[in-house]
Amino acid sequence: MIETRHLSKAYSRGLYALQDLSLTVSRGEFVFLTGPSGAGKSTFLRLLLLQDKPTEGEILVNGHKLSTLSRRDVQEYRRGVGFIFQDFKLLKTRTVLENVSFVPEVLGMPVSQQRRRAFQVLKWVGLQHRASAYPQDLSGGEQQRIAIARALVNDPYLILADEPTGNLDPDLSLEIMNLLREVNAGGTTVLVATHDRELIRLVGRRTISLDQGRVAEVS
Amino acid sequence: MRALDYALREGWRGLRRSGSAGILATAATGLAILVLGALLLITSNVEQLMAQWSETAEFSVFLRDDATSEQRGAIESVIDRSGIALGRTYLSKADALQRFRRDFANLDALAASLEDNPFPSSIEVRVRPDAEQDGRTTALVQGMASLPGVADVRYDREWLSTLTTGLRAVRGVGWTLALLVGLAAAATVASVIRLGLQSRYQEIEIMQLVGSPVAFIQGPFVAEGLIQGAMGSLSALILLGIGYLAATRWWGAGVASVLDGATLRFLSPSLVVLLVFGGMAVGALGGFAASRHAR
Repeated sequence: MIETRHLSKAYSRGLYALQDLSLTVSRGEFVFLTGPSGAGKSTFLRLLLLQDKPTEGEILVNGHKLSTLSRRDVQEYRRGVGFIFQDFKLLKTRTVLENVSFVPEVLGMPVSQQRRRAFQVLKWVGLQHRASAYPQDLSGGEQQRIAIARALVNDPYLILADEPTGNLDPDLSLEIMNLLREVNAGGTTVLVATHDRELIRLVGRRTISLDQGRVAEVS
Repeated sequence: MRALDYALREGWRGLRRSGSAGILATAATGLAILVLGALLLITSNVEQLMAQWSETAEFSVFLRDDATSEQRGAIESVIDRSGIALGRTYLSKADALQRFRRDFANLDALAASLEDNPFPSSIEVRVRPDAEQDGRTTALVQGMASLPGVADVRYDREWLSTLTTGLRAVRGVGWTLALLVGLAAAATVASVIRLGLQSRYQEIEIMQLVGSPVAFIQGPFVAEGLIQGAMGSLSALILLGIGYLAATRWWGAGVASVLDGATLRFLSPSLVVLLVFGGMAVGALGGFAASRHAR
């Protein structure tokens, strides 16, 4: 599903966020990406989301070489990738339902399908009863579940989560991870960047540890 | 179609959110259209009058007092053979004096006090408009001045060409002004939309990350500019219409009496439509320029 070959990302003054990174994530796998702050976890996810370009090396996702994608291909590729961020990135002026249906709406899906699909995923994350609430009226855990619902609404083959539990207490963190495990059980590949070792231990999946932009350990 | 629907809906929402800044941008577009509309209104009316005057062009051949009837016949023959005359009228010395008395009734005493009739006889020639335009009339007039029996030929069209030149200059200045105001309006629209863009950066980021088509990302901003342009130009045309009605009411009768019954005319429907589209284009251009980095 994801394969990187000698991937490097250099910033100014010769500082490397990622250096000669070669790794593979199989289809349907649930993988943790861990390491201390500055290890390159977020940079790696940014490269996968095509928010940034690598300095060297290649990334292949689902057979597509990301560096050769045209603008239209990038749009097509991103439609298959769901993302979850630590700060949720929910739109404050829209209700929960509107936040979730925003994705199909801006992808041009018919209105009736937008609503139906948004309700389906809201139900799946157990928040259909909060459909008309605004994000600021929800708890952190609920907000992250809405973000997960939004990531799932387009039925992606890959979920990228950058510190999805960074703003949550341990119980809520485990709840979110269980939700992601369920997503993974449905066949979706999940890549979670986190520095929470305890959470990784509790969930118990393959873990790639980064340190100073290099793979330090795979367990 | 869904992209258009989304763009218009979000564009309208964006315009409402922009508040007084949006009103400013709308007013700027309106000002550009007002300048251009006023220019077109004035020049089209002057052009209409000029066309009317050109169509009624004529020249007068004044005869010497000692011109013989053979000389007059030869002059009339030259006019008839030229093929440019729609018609001609001979005005004797007595007819000329009578006309003077009729046209300048208040100077009747002066006319009555004259011992001799000072007015020359003349031949008034009405000219075909095409001959007026292609210069054949001027050539004929120049040739006739040297004919025996001719005292003078009056073909005073210089004022018309001066007016044409003046009108061209006014039009040039007006277009330049309209273009400058139009660019300023587009820049104002762009600035206001850029503000809206800042407040919607998260929405745009999500749209980019989920692979939303460019039409959905950029469309609302172009639509916002388009709506601003439409509102601005419609407001400008309403103001122009009010100004036109006021001018017709206050000066219409005066204009008609001075200009042979001619009336002031408003812009043609096609020009009105063009101006509205022009305003929309200015707004859309501003919206496009502001949002081109959002893709």
